[in-house]
Amino acid sequence: MATSPTTVMDQLLTGLHLPDGLDAFAGVIRESLAQVTNSASWTRYGRQSLEWLIGMNPVDRLFMLSALTLLLMLLLGRLRSAGVLAVLLYGAQFAALLSTDTLFGAPLAAEVRITVADQSLHWSYDALSWFFAMLTIGAGFVTAWYAAGSWMRRYREAGRSARAFHVALALNCFGMLLLIGSADLLSLFLGWELVSWASFLLMALVGGLGAQAALKYLAYAISGAMLILGAIALLYSVGGSFEYDAVVAAIRGMTDAQVWTLLLLLGGGFAVKLALLPFHLWQAAAYAEAPGAGSVFLGAISARMGLFGIIVFIVGMIGVSRLMTLEIPYTFMSSRELIAWIAALTIIVPTYTALQQHDARYLLAWHGIGQGGYMLLGLMVGDAVGSAGGLLHCFNYAITQAALLMAVFAVVHRTGTADLNQLGGLVTRMPLTFLVLLFGIISLAGLPPMAGFVSKWMVYRSLITEGMPLLFVTAVVGTLGTILSVYKLIHNIFLGQLRVEHQEVAEAPLSMLIPMLGLSALIFLAGFIPGPALSWVAQVQGQLGLPVVPWVLGGIVDPRGGLDMIWLVGILMAGFGVGALVFYGFGGRSRRVHQLDNYAGGHFLTADVHYQYSDNFYAGLMHLIGPWYRGAFRWLERSLAATLDLVSFGAEGLYRLAQPTLLMLAAAVAMLAWVL
Amino acid sequence: MDWLSAVNLDGLAAVDFRWLGLVLELILMPLIAFVVGLGLVLMLRKIAARLQRRVGPPLSQPLWDIIKLHAKETQTSHGLIHEIGIVMAIGGYVAAVTLLPVPGMNGLAQQGGLIALLYMTMIPSLGLALGVGQCANPNGSIGISRALTAMLAYDVPLVIVIFGVAFHFGSLNLVHMIAAQQAGGIASWGIVQMPLLALAGLFALQGMLGKQPFEIYVAPAEIATGPMVEMGGKFLGGLFVMQCFQLYTAGVLYVTLFLGGGEHWLTFLFKVFVVTAIPMTIAMVFPRYRTEDMVRLFWKWPTMIGLLGIAFVMN
Repeated sequence: MATSPTTVMDQLLTGLHLPDGLDAFAGVIRESLAQVTNSASWTRYGRQSLEWLIGMNPVDRLFMLSALTLLLMLLLGRLRSAGVLAVLLYGAQFAALLSTDTLFGAPLAAEVRITVADQSLHWSYDALSWFFAMLTIGAGFVTAWYAAGSWMRRYREAGRSARAFHVALALNCFGMLLLIGSADLLSLFLGWELVSWASFLLMALVGGLGAQAALKYLAYAISGAMLILGAIALLYSVGGSFEYDAVVAAIRGMTDAQVWTLLLLLGGGFAVKLALLPFHLWQAAAYAEAPGAGSVFLGAISARMGLFGIIVFIVGMIGVSRLMTLEIPYTFMSSRELIAWIAALTIIVPTYTALQQHDARYLLAWHGIGQGGYMLLGLMVGDAVGSAGGLLHCFNYAITQAALLMAVFAVVHRTGTADLNQLGGLVTRMPLTFLVLLFGIISLAGLPPMAGFVSKWMVYRSLITEGMPLLFVTAVVGTLGTILSVYKLIHNIFLGQLRVEHQEVAEAPLSMLIPMLGLSALIFLAGFIPGPALSWVAQVQGQLGLPVVPWVLGGIVDPRGGLDMIWLVGILMAGFGVGALVFYGFGGRSRRVHQLDNYAGGHFLTADVHYQYSDNFYAGLMHLIGPWYRGAFRWLERSLAATLDLVSFGAEGLYRLAQPTLLMLAAAVAMLAWVL
Repeated sequence: MDWLSAVNLDGLAAVDFRWLGLVLELILMPLIAFVVGLGLVLMLRKIAARLQRRVGPPLSQPLWDIIKLHAKETQTSHGLIHEIGIVMAIGGYVAAVTLLPVPGMNGLAQQGGLIALLYMTMIPSLGLALGVGQCANPNGSIGISRALTAMLAYDVPLVIVIFGVAFHFGSLNLVHMIAAQQAGGIASWGIVQMPLLALAGLFALQGMLGKQPFEIYVAPAEIATGPMVEMGGKFLGGLFVMQCFQLYTAGVLYVTLFLGGGEHWLTFLFKVFVVTAIPMTIAMVFPRYRTEDMVRLFWKWPTMIGLLGIAFVMN
């Protein structure tokens, strides 16, 4: 006998005892399901649910749509049209976010709340939440579009579950939206765990190396979550409440030792997600080995959740000025300098690790870790321009990294490899993908006229005006390393000699190209006219109590040296015009020749001889700095794991009481030692 | 511009003509840079000739070289990016020189300071690197790999110098720096106030211009002139134009940071030619370093001198 879905759902929902907030929610679902099955008129149902959605609290509506996306992907994820549906749903989420008007308007609390054991979990959106939610939903939107067509067909053909992918992506978005809307410590922890597990799901989808990396991530994430739990326990024991207002008051009354403990616990926990040194080892493999579109999403936004935590607690609640008063004993450093140096090392070490990679995905993933350092560094400088630069870099980096990873995975889609020693010359076959990658690398390296230049310029400028020479030099050395590394990336994929097996490669499919080109246009526009993005950042600064950046449409106004990108980009374009005039306007016509019509020291080139320089691209530099790569962090990680292994082995022995006499002896010795 | 304000525009008083002045500046500045750059190239070749006991080329030789290269019948292109690379190499410098104030003209120096200038001058390098990459010749790619490594080497002391100078003047704005130096006379020039940074800057200049002993990336006998291996005709002509701009930018930047900028054109050009002559003379006397030796050298001596200089500036 077949049971109708409504009754099953009904039984499920009435059987469960739900807290207050969810009861109403369940009632709504029950009602709508009843309407779907009973009413013949779909239009009426559609109109009613639309009216219901419009009448809702805007933040609830956002959560509702995000949960609906998850539900629909769970139900319909198998369908071929699920990809298009997902794009539409993420678009609807974006519209819902805009309708909350929490960026320029007042903060808005959600009506949904869950009460557990007298503690209420609730959510609220403000300018900071809006900013990060915009990045999250934007990343979800472009990722879903990228995955909607040809990419997903290939994914299915490989025997993988489309539904699992869609659900994982929707769950990530949902978890992040809950996390960045959290208004108390419990909802924060709930969101944090949801995000951690959701990103594990996305990483582990294809198995193999990805699953291994995901397991390693999980070990890190659980340790990080324990630290955060410890911090929550500390805050509760001091303040007696999970509410943020009480937490702020509690921190104000804390002793320096307590704040240090809190800083280490929170900082450690969030640093794992952001992959700050020395907790950075998990990220590159976990992000690079995820399925293409998933990697785009993870690379663009996922790690920023760690930064969000740092912004809320360390920048917002503890405050940079408090950090400056916390001296490290026996040194000249304050805790703020310590964090700034951790950020600076997070720029340098991963960037130069990226320089050594010969897999395009890993190269970009390592750079992703390094770019996180710039954001934290800017925030730690803490002045108006620096903190705005750090926040703006979240946006600029997200669009840049998404475009870059999309371009690389488009190459993988067409050629089947991301190995930088197996590619070359693809610019003639995939010119638009080349253009996307070019825009992306200029932005990632922080050169004008692209978006990345603006935010990095702001970080540099604040380091100069605040008088931090060594951090400034470190930040610039990181940028120089990025330039070297991204040139290798574009050279080894798109320039040089086209291989015989790639002669027939086609341009990336349209479904992948459209989001790629859209992001490239955005990268250019955000560099040309940084004003709109700066206005968002200024709102976030105002809400966090930071000094607000003096922005205009073209950049920054400041008597000590401002920046006007409209003029700079304008003159650069004019310069290119002059260059084109000089080159194309005068002299003889150039004649295109075949790539084998080339200087080879008197030899004749043939198609079967590979005439390309790609492996060990910076041989001279590596000759010098190669021995500096000691793998010290890997050694640290391995020794930690080995110690843990040993302890668990010992504990297992004790547990089984394999040697009761030995245990007695050990206990006796310990007792004696204590007594004496 | 001074002379423009002298023109009587009574009948057009309602129209704001300041933007017209700016547009004129933006046209004139690259032109002047190009002409001065041609002069600097000529000086470079004259110095080399004199040290080798030759007479050297006549006055207009650099210009004729460019015309000759453009007029060649055989113009071999390896694809669109090869051509775009040259366009970017010239265009980036045309834009960059408008950020450098010269006597009577500030151009866009108020809209982008020292850091914007530094990064703007990387655009031509990027364009060149892309163009060379498209040529599909490993000699060229090796040359670019070496050139970028060289950049990593000399930029470390260079950014230390930039930090020190910006901190000293309390601004990233080049117009402010010049004003501060000219108001206080020679005693307030960067070279007097920050001699160690000026020395480190001179080192960096040598590397920036890619002159001996730091010209491993062209190494004609080893990698067939590296980046230039597939460049002929107007492709090489474009690089020639780029070199004119590059010499000008480096010379003017040094004069702006350390030698008080330009009060008027005569002293300004004199300073620029003297500063640029130093690396050229050194270049003719020294043999060539390998890239790793270059990195080692730059990360050691000029970096140490620069950091010491910053320590003095910040105290």
